[in-house]
Amino acid sequence: MSEALRIGVYICHCGINIAGSVNIKEVVEYVKNLPNVVEVRDYIFMCSAPGQEIIKEGIKKCDLNRVVVAACSPTMHEHTFRNVLAEAGMNPYLLEMVNIREQCSWVHSDNKDAATTKTKLLIRMAVAKASLLEPLKEITFKVNKNVLIIGGGAAGLSAARDLAAKDFKVYLIERKPVIGGNTSRLGRLAHTELKGIDVVRELSKQILNNPNIHLYVDTELANVDGSVGDFKIKLIKNPRYVNENCNLCGECVKVCPVDVPNEYEFGISKRKAIYLPYREAYPPIYTIDSENCTRCFECVKVCPSNAINLAQKPEEIELRVGAIILAAGHEPYEPLTGEFGYGISNKIITLFQLERMLDVEGPTNGKLKVNGTQPKNIVFIMCVGSLNTTPNAYPYCSRMCCSSTIKNALIIKEKHPDANIYILHRDIRTYSRGDEQLYLKAGESLIRFARYREAPNVIVNPDGSINIRFFEETLQETVSLPADLVVLSVGMKPPRDIDKVRTIVKVGCGPEGFLREAHLKLRPVEATTDGVYLAGTVTGPKNIIESIESGSAAASKASALLIKEEVRVEPLIAVVDEERCSGCSICIGICPYNAIRLKTQENVRVAEVDPALCKGCGACAASCPTGAMQQFGFKDNQLKSQVLAALIE
Amino acid sequence: MSQDFEPRIIAFCCNWCSYAALDLAGTSRMKYPPNFIVIKVMCSGRVDPQFILEAFRRGADGVLVAGCHPGDCHYIEGNIKALRRMTLLKKVLEEFGIEKERFRLEWISASEADKFVKVANEMLEQIKSLGPLKIEEVQIHG
Repeated sequence: MSEALRIGVYICHCGINIAGSVNIKEVVEYVKNLPNVVEVRDYIFMCSAPGQEIIKEGIKKCDLNRVVVAACSPTMHEHTFRNVLAEAGMNPYLLEMVNIREQCSWVHSDNKDAATTKTKLLIRMAVAKASLLEPLKEITFKVNKNVLIIGGGAAGLSAARDLAAKDFKVYLIERKPVIGGNTSRLGRLAHTELKGIDVVRELSKQILNNPNIHLYVDTELANVDGSVGDFKIKLIKNPRYVNENCNLCGECVKVCPVDVPNEYEFGISKRKAIYLPYREAYPPIYTIDSENCTRCFECVKVCPSNAINLAQKPEEIELRVGAIILAAGHEPYEPLTGEFGYGISNKIITLFQLERMLDVEGPTNGKLKVNGTQPKNIVFIMCVGSLNTTPNAYPYCSRMCCSSTIKNALIIKEKHPDANIYILHRDIRTYSRGDEQLYLKAGESLIRFARYREAPNVIVNPDGSINIRFFEETLQETVSLPADLVVLSVGMKPPRDIDKVRTIVKVGCGPEGFLREAHLKLRPVEATTDGVYLAGTVTGPKNIIESIESGSAAASKASALLIKEEVRVEPLIAVVDEERCSGCSICIGICPYNAIRLKTQENVRVAEVDPALCKGCGACAASCPTGAMQQFGFKDNQLKSQVLAALIE
Repeated sequence: MSQDFEPRIIAFCCNWCSYAALDLAGTSRMKYPPNFIVIKVMCSGRVDPQFILEAFRRGADGVLVAGCHPGDCHYIEGNIKALRRMTLLKKVLEEFGIEKERFRLEWISASEADKFVKVANEMLEQIKSLGPLKIEEVQIHG
């Protein structure tokens, strides 16, 4: 820039927060002598209206072309001071903030001299960087009013319902052949006569036949391009092999020669390769499991409505949306073979299998029978797969298993008052509303609670009988219980292929694989990627109430974006110096957002950044061998000037 | 070795995790040595090894690069890119005769202000016992 630099430096006292441990007078005198500084002012609260006025006045009076504000963390007030510059007619990106509160006065309040010296040094660095700042133009995008919801479980359905009610167009995709997710497989829910499927039916009622909602089952996310306000989506609709002509007559099922475990019933019953997961499944169309289908064509021959086409191919669907809600759910933890005896004896089942057995519409019509007889001694073991009980277990608490275990124990007690029920637990966490009463009721119903620390030993005897040995914490002795049925209260784990989806949508995950919100407490349903929201158990274990709540919360957050005409994005993105670029393509491989392409101009290949895709991480700039790739606001010379200013004597 | 040697240490901190941890250290009124001078970058993946070499060349006694924990990166895996580069850089620094205690790459989440304080104290102590960086040696080998 040919224009002479005129830098104004504004130093905030933040009451006594800064001035109490930094000698402001000394700093002001020092800063006056820094190169190109034409004005230095200090004030008790620079962020206040009079403080902002001081800066605006300075900009006009001294015709400033750079501003340095030494105050609190930029996280707090960078936005405020950028607006001050804009209001005074300056480009807001000609501001550099110095964090002399969080990084200086507060942490060095025991040493005023050191705090004062460090303040001078930090301002010196900022003045050096400010000299090299450039005016930048904010990037704006028009907001597309459509939204994509990934996952048709309780959270996804709840989000779809709320967004459609606000007249946004919703594309709801579900990987499985039917909607409802894990909720549809639950039996009677606590405190109500409703079953999981009833909840799904109620939610579905409000979204089916809604002109604002487009439902795609058997559909997976293949690719996402673009960014907040304008995502370009690619979906793959996998073949179902059965079309809408299907009238559920069931002739096909009769002739299908394949028998495989029914995953909807957690493997306790069998299904055919052509099947409907459960009676009320939506959409009410049979589906063919292509992995297990032998292509014998028997179903095709008997179908009276000509609904089956085994030659169907996957279909690609393209969409444009402004926001994405990720509600991909969870998977129930499945114990390893031998973990608490699971898989060794059919008397050892999981909590979810028990739920299916207790459901009157389940595979046993609600009858609790093991090998044809009614089990008398029933032992529940809690925290299976959770709280590190076994080496294979996850470290977290799955939240819903305590209440769910007690609820099921009470259902059994209602039907079979003479059953002896034991619940072996590490801790009881019946935290949801009314659940503590369930716990008390369980005690009154003579369901016995025993506490273990080391995982109980499930012993399957040669005659098939089972004993459970464990050290009881309250009695302080080893106890052995006979069991006719062992129920393992399993928790939740992240869905199997969540990594694939989260990589496409660009969302981070925690050590266990659940997705990470932008801020655990302040932004619980937003992802770090703008325009992407998270709902339901994809971020961690939740009960149905919490899942539906978070679906509504994500819908509400998304609608705050969708209602806007355009979004503004900070222009701190990558930029190419075409003269220096050698077209080596290293940056293309580095970029996590596919934001860089090679273009040919005048027979020379150079890199080109798509401002709509670049998120401004700067990884490309760090990898560029010629220094052609840079990042606005964090250019090599700007960062090096800070290093230099920090180290000059 | 002089007792009053005060090392100068440059810390490159990513905006989302480690810079936020420093803010938390401030709001929690924690104390850490004033020798750490922070330069903010959006992601640890932005830190070009040449910045670190430049810092040592200009007289820094130590350099810290701090990013989000693996899996937590705001930009998916910028921290892993930093890890790759810094692993290589460590070897180069060793060749230059710069002691390995003078350069550290650390994962510090937004809630781990205490970890930053711990790392800062450890690093300061180690560098103090090493004494000032001998720049001449760097130039001979470099």
